[in-house]
This record gives sequence, structure tokens and C-alpha cells, in this order.
Amino acid sequence: MQINPIIEKDLKTKMRGWKAPTLITFYLGFLGFLIWVFFIDNIYSAYNYFDPRLMTDVFKTIASFQFGLIVLITPVLTATAISGEKERQTLDLLLCTDYSTFKIVIGKIVVSIAHVLLLITASLPILSTVFLFGGIGIIDMLRLFAFYLVTALLIASLGMLFSTIFRRSPVSIIVTYIMVLGLLYGTLILHGLYLILYQNFTGQMPQAPLYWVLYTSPAFGFASVIGTDGGGIISVFLTGTAYGRVAAFGQISPWIINTAFSIVVSILIIIFCAWKIKPVK
Amino acid sequence: MVVVSNLVKKYGKLLAVNDLSLEIEKGQIYGFVGANGAGKTTTMRIISGLLRATSGKVLVNGIDISKNPRAVKKMIGYMPDFFGVYSDLKVSEYMNFYSGLYGIPPRNRKKIIDDLLELVNLSDKRDAYVDSLSRGMKQRLCLARSLIHDPDLLILDEPASGLDPRARVEMKEILKELKSMGRTIIISSHILHELSEICTAIGIIDNGKMVVSGPVEEIMAKLSHSRRIKVKVLKGGVEPLVKCLQEEPEIGRITTGNDYVEADFNGNGEKLAGILKNIVIKGVPVISFTETGENLESIFMHVTRGNSQDADKSNN
Repeated sequence: MQINPIIEKDLKTKMRGWKAPTLITFYLGFLGFLIWVFFIDNIYSAYNYFDPRLMTDVFKTIASFQFGLIVLITPVLTATAISGEKERQTLDLLLCTDYSTFKIVIGKIVVSIAHVLLLITASLPILSTVFLFGGIGIIDMLRLFAFYLVTALLIASLGMLFSTIFRRSPVSIIVTYIMVLGLLYGTLILHGLYLILYQNFTGQMPQAPLYWVLYTSPAFGFASVIGTDGGGIISVFLTGTAYGRVAAFGQISPWIINTAFSIVVSILIIIFCAWKIKPVK
Repeated sequence: MVVVSNLVKKYGKLLAVNDLSLEIEKGQIYGFVGANGAGKTTTMRIISGLLRATSGKVLVNGIDISKNPRAVKKMIGYMPDFFGVYSDLKVSEYMNFYSGLYGIPPRNRKKIIDDLLELVNLSDKRDAYVDSLSRGMKQRLCLARSLIHDPDLLILDEPASGLDPRARVEMKEILKELKSMGRTIIISSHILHELSEICTAIGIIDNGKMVVSGPVEEIMAKLSHSRRIKVKVLKGGVEPLVKCLQEEPEIGRITTGNDYVEADFNGNGEKLAGILKNIVIKGVPVISFTETGENLESIFMHVTRGNSQDADKSNN
């Protein structure tokens, strides 16, 4: 079987030179520093003993940091995938071959996800320090990685979508960021506003809140993956809901529904992109 | 090999290609001639499967491009007029990438790439980064890329545009080599003199419409309304020569140079001999007296001038 030439080329050229190793080095250095700060802070605390429960916080912090990394990096990698080819005047040379546009789109998406996953995989040894103290199991870690992968796929697909629609990369990048942030946090804000307005007008909580809006948000799904109890910004928008389990979906965790949503939307977007860049439809 | 029938391409209200038809036989080198914006690139992009026609039909080896674009793309090597390169790839990697896209098995690639780089004289650059190549080298590399899957038909859109004289000569030599290999090629160029040296057939397109199409000799014979003579003279001989020629009823448009005069001639050999005799008798210091055939450039000017006048009239 032949490797997708787009994946082969992009992975080779992007890993060439000093940029990629430097980026990974700084990234791992930063994560290491973060964990070190946690340890130091804990050891020299007022109680003067090491609390193993600290590692759950370390895990959640690093996981959140990596989730933010996916949200920030993936759009830049894919939102230029097709528009960049247009700007470089290389798209025609791709499309005049008999290579299918579906494989071209898949290749571009895999390359962008691969870069994000490389950063995350490289951080595994650092993240594994949490196993030393218990509290976090291998299943938790695998679930987190699966969620990262699906979220990266969704964001990469969105970037690809706007990259095929707009001719210029800066426009495509900006629109992708707006869309991603809207999906992540706009949905939470929308849900919060709905609850507040409903309560203000009727004086009671809605019987059937807009849960489906929340399920489209990877941020909501992520919160349930790392098992947060609804603290922080997300809880503001979830007043009145039993966080983590919602009866409307038969006690299915939000991250599972969000993952299913992301996969379906990504597939639809990829099919559309492949159709859109096809010159003779 | 290629049959284009009643091709129409509209961009909104703009009619880029207007009911264009042409036929290209296997082994023909078809020169596509036309001014900027005449519709050459649009037509070539449609034939290459990069653009959908508004109406009309394109058949390559009997396969309709609109029905089976992937099958047609397998048979076509396309070189656009403007193209970019992946600057972070080496020449051999660049070729390897496109051979992958065309589905060439990895074990066969090295030989194909080596042969093609040799054909375009880039063997010594195989490990150089594409970005470090000169414009002419990039053009040749793009030509090699378009040949990587051994296509039946090559479509070259202005392959020599923007090249310096040396690079242009090198490109012409490669095209002659391809011609000797029996390739079928559609080529567009502004340099009509070069086209006439390479092409076996031409199509002149003006305002999206095919004005004339067919084998070069046939078109030359059909459209050459007059013969043209060139008379070289010694210093000071141009003025008396022009006077002599103006007296001859068979002589038409006259153009002059420092030491020569060119003129259109409508007549037979006897009349031509008579003119030469008169010039010599009147003491014009003639060095040479030759007949020059009408070239592609003058035919192009003649044909498109007629059309633009028609267009002007209809606009008025």
C-alpha cells in the first residue's frame, strides 16, 4: 500500500530543519516547569508534607493546557491547507493529477492532526508522572487522548472548510478561529443566557433546557472527560443541571455525545471540502 | 486524439470561450495562438479538467472529460502559465511527490525521475532545493513533472514565458526533442516565430472564438494572400529602390530598413523577374533579391485584425 503522498511530503518537510525540534523542546520544557512548580509549591506549603491528591490537579492542568494548545494550533495548520496552495499557485498542479480530492483533503487533515498529536505524545513521559501517585488511571489517559484526537479532527475539518471557501489564508484563519471559539464557548454562553433569561421572565428554571447546544461544545465535552465537577467558567453556564450526567440522553456522558457529534460533523465537512475543490463536479 | 466541439465558457456575463471547436490528431504539435485574454488558457484548463465548461464537449481519446475527468487526467500532462513550487522540497523529492500523486509505484520512480531530469537537463540539480532554481530551471522542472506519468497528451500553457533568451532556446530544444519522440502537444505561446518552427498545426483564437484551425501549411497556403520580397541594397540605395517599386502596379505594402526594402507582391514569376530587371536598369545598387514567405506572425495579425475590425463595427 502506498502512503498518501501529501502526508509523506508534508511530514518530511515540516520535520526538516531546527524549527520542529525547537518547538517540541520548548513545549516539553514548559510542561516540565509547570509540574516542578506544582511540586515545589506543595512541598513548601504551610502543612509541610506532600499531598498525593495534588497529582489530580497536575493532570487536569496539563490536560487543559494541551486542550488549549489543540484549539490554538490546529486552525493555523489547516486553515491554510487549501488557501495556501491557491496562494502558492500549486493547487492546479495537485488538481490536474488524477489523485482524488478526497485523499487530498484527508492528507491535509492528517498532517495537521499529526503535528498536534506529536506535541501531545511527546508530553506523555511528563504527564505519566501522575501515575506515580495514583488517582489517575490508564483509562483516563486513553479517554483524554481519544477526545483530543476527535477535537483536533473537528477543528482541522473546520479549518479545511474555510480554507476551501476563502482564497486568502488570513481570512480563512480568522474565520476558523471565530467559528472554533464560537463552538467551544459561544455555545456555553448561549446556554447560560437562555437559562438566565428564562428564569428572569418565568421565575423558574426551564423544564427542558437547551442541552443539545451544550453537547456541540468540545469545551463541555472536555470538562466531562477530565471529570471536573463543574467548577470554573463552565459551571456558570450550567446552573441547575446535574453536571456530568444528563437524563435526556439516558445517562450518557457529555464527552461521548460530543465525540459522536464531532465525528459526524467532521465527516460531513470533509466530504463537502472534497466536493468543493473538485474542479469538474 | 482531442476533439473539442462547440465549447462555451461564461464567467457571469463575460463570454471567455465562444463556440470553439478544434481537432488534434495523435502526434500533432498544436500551436494555440491568440492575444492576451483571447481564451487560450481557459480552453486549455477545460481540456485539462481544471475548469468546467458552460456547454460543449471535450473528448480525449474518445473519453468525455465532463463524464470521466479522472480517466482523462491520467492521459494529460499539464503545465500552467503561472505556477508555484514547494520551496522546501528538493528537485528529486518534488518529482517523487508528483509520481506518488499519479500512483507510480515507489520501485519504478527513481528511473523515471532520472530519465526526465536528464531530458530537461536538470540531472545535476536533483539534490538542490526547488526554490534555489532559476526561472528557466523551474519551467523545465515543471515540464518534467507534467511528463512523469507518461501522458498521451501534453498541454503547455506559455512554457517559455518570462524566460531569458538562453532559457528560451533550451526550452525550445526540449520541445523539439518531445516532438521527435512523437508526443501529442498543445502549446500556447506569444512567440509565434518559435511556434511556427515547432508546430505541425495551429489554431488562432480571438475574443474566445476560433478564427482558423488546421495544419500549418494548409493555413499558410489558405491565408497567404500575397508574396513578399526582400531586396538588400548598398548604402543610399533604399530611397531610389522605394521609388522604383512604387511605380510597379503589382507591388503593395512597402516597409524599409537601413539597407533593405520589403514589399508585398501580387503577381507571377515573370512579373517578379521584370521588376528585378527594372531595378537594375535604373541603377539601384542591389546586393540580394529574395522572396520571403508570409510567416505565422503576419497571418495572425491579418486574421485577428479582420476580426477586431468586425468587432469594432458591431460595437459601433
